[in-house]
Amino acid sequence: MLTAAPHLHVRRPSPTTAEFTVSTYPRNPTPALRLLLIAVGVLRLVLALGAALLLYAEYWTQFFTLASYQQSNLWLLPAAQHEFLLYHTPLGRLAQEIAARTPSWALVPLCIGAIYVAVRRIHVEERLLVLRGLGIQTRSTPGTILLGWFGGGAGAGAGGGPTRFIPTEKIRDVLINEAFWGFGVRYILVVVVEGEEGLVVVFPKLLPRREIVEEVWRGVRGCLFDEGGAGEHHHLQQQRPEKKRRFKDTKRRSGAGDGKKSPASTKENSGEEIRDRS
Amino acid sequence: MPRLTYNIAMVSDFFFPQPGGVESHIYQLATKLVDRGHKVVVITHAYADRKGIRYLTNGIKVYHVPFAIIYRSATFPTVFSFFPVFRNIMIREQIDIVHGHASLSSLCHEALLHGRTMGLRTVFTDHSLFGFADAASILTNKLLKFILSDVDHVICVSHTSKENTVLRAALDPVMVSVIPNAVVSENFRPRKYPPEPPAPNNGFGNATPAVHHLGPNDPVVIVVISRLFYNKGTDLLTASIPRILENHPNTRFIIAGSGPKSIDLEQMIEQNVLQDKVEMLGSVRHEQVRDVMIRGHIYLHPSLTEAFGTVLVEAASCGLYVVCTAVGGIPEVLPGHMTVFAKPEEDDLVVATGKAISALRANKVRTEKFHDQVKAMYSWDNIAKRTERVYKGIMGDIPEADFYGYDVGNTAAWNGESHSGVRSFALIDRLKRYYGCGVWAGKLFCLCAVIDYLLFVFCEWVFPRDRIDIAADWPRKVYHSDDDD
Repeated sequence: MLTAAPHLHVRRPSPTTAEFTVSTYPRNPTPALRLLLIAVGVLRLVLALGAALLLYAEYWTQFFTLASYQQSNLWLLPAAQHEFLLYHTPLGRLAQEIAARTPSWALVPLCIGAIYVAVRRIHVEERLLVLRGLGIQTRSTPGTILLGWFGGGAGAGAGGGPTRFIPTEKIRDVLINEAFWGFGVRYILVVVVEGEEGLVVVFPKLLPRREIVEEVWRGVRGCLFDEGGAGEHHHLQQQRPEKKRRFKDTKRRSGAGDGKKSPASTKENSGEEIRDRS
Repeated sequence: MPRLTYNIAMVSDFFFPQPGGVESHIYQLATKLVDRGHKVVVITHAYADRKGIRYLTNGIKVYHVPFAIIYRSATFPTVFSFFPVFRNIMIREQIDIVHGHASLSSLCHEALLHGRTMGLRTVFTDHSLFGFADAASILTNKLLKFILSDVDHVICVSHTSKENTVLRAALDPVMVSVIPNAVVSENFRPRKYPPEPPAPNNGFGNATPAVHHLGPNDPVVIVVISRLFYNKGTDLLTASIPRILENHPNTRFIIAGSGPKSIDLEQMIEQNVLQDKVEMLGSVRHEQVRDVMIRGHIYLHPSLTEAFGTVLVEAASCGLYVVCTAVGGIPEVLPGHMTVFAKPEEDDLVVATGKAISALRANKVRTEKFHDQVKAMYSWDNIAKRTERVYKGIMGDIPEADFYGYDVGNTAAWNGESHSGVRSFALIDRLKRYYGCGVWAGKLFCLCAVIDYLLFVFCEWVFPRDRIDIAADWPRKVYHSDDDD
């Protein structure tokens, strides 16, 4: 209910740039859905804080008896806050009570589980940025909120998450493949990278459906190879009106994107540029 | 009216890159069916260097399912773990007919069971003959009975094989068709055959290939190509060769193939000092078979059991006179003027070979004509056409009376609904059929069928149909039929 089926959003800021975003965030959320999402967010915050409080109380009851109260150099919080939190608020007393009564082997995993649920992302978003002459960059949201904050670094702009940049001269082809995935067969968009054993799968988490994959594939090829190497593709397209069948033929011809424009900058430089823009 | 075409899934454990008879049968049949406008996908397990989804010539799509290999050692869990993948493939390829091959392929049996559960029409092709006596055969027969009691139609490669299968699986004979193997006759041309077909109007009708007589002092060369196993009659061969050479000294043997019995042959050669008359080549690849065959005049096939014997057709196509044992489906393969039959025993084999040598020496046998005759008899186009008729029959696209060749409306003779026409997919009807398989086996089979059905319902719930992408079709060929089918 909170998530939608993966859908595609294409952004073309300039004729030589295209960004394909596949997301499970509801496309046009109604006010009710927005409210619900906010409510779920608040609930997750409360859940995370409650679990943290319980863990703290458990930590306290387990390792510090009343005798060791004086030598409190191992306290996690300053003495005043500690006192206040655990003894002067009803919640603190409740937490202490629960921590004392529940065995720690049950409480600790439960709390950790609750925190994980609270910080896990509800929506997944994966992006593919295509810059003609430079290359393509993939990015997908990390599984939890925390990774987006801490692990994002320079690449963490909108959405955050790890990015992968592939310069044009390393791209041998972009194609649609079929592969066994779990208990079924999926269409996947892959990039054949020169000098790499495996293929780079675009949208690896969401694995959108065939219509989306085909649209992105056409967009990527159009944007990446439009000048120079893509002349043959356009001839092909004109000869055959059935577009659906065409991609299979192209799929079989590896190295189709050979005669491309060589990018002006080196790999490192172009990587820097992408980061600056985002 | 547009021609009816089907989406067909060929399922077998045996497929390329592994070489073999069943493998090439599936490939040739699939190619010709694609030529007739159908869509064919092949489902097999993953081989070491062959995984995932591939395309072959003509747009045949091959699924090398990686699952089957994981649970290779245990058959039972494979039955159900293969189902979700199988269902996914069936839905995304919009399959109408599941066609399983080879009775020793567990993947094929599973696919037939799952196919029926999913409400697809199923066909099974049996490529081999089995005994009834030993424990392994009994087990295989039981399994075959389980699977075949709910299959829509069975294809056998010869009438003997049909008889065998009907007995083993207790089938109604009208639901078993006989469609033989074929050969690609272009690959099996005789030695002096004109490489190009002669111009159609050269004034002299069709030119026959030149007659090549055997000179009085030319040696007669006998070729044997078979795997050297007990069931291929290698013991018979070992016993007869010295006697044949004694009776007809101006004779040579070329033996190609390998196997556990090759050591016996080598001993025989050394004991009788026949090194200059018997040549052993070891195993040859299938594409080299023709080159070996055209070195000889007679093809000797001493097999003890054989469902069809494609190699006989290949030999005759190469213009060899065939001496073979009259076992299994062999007598059905070639017309009488191309073969000399023997009983599967030493004396008779020696006599028959003697007859063949004398006939060749007298130049009575027109072996140069064999190739064209075989070409007219065996072609994959014809096989595909007959297979297509089976498909039409089980899909109900040709009238039942036409397909089964009797008055199916006459229910008195066929005991109501139990006749083998188009079979009901209702679970209760399927269970009835399985229950009849045996006292204990029937119940076990019913249990399997019920579990399979529950798994199907579970899959429909967990992996709904509308979430599965429909695969893009390879451009279909338009078949311009030259006959009224």
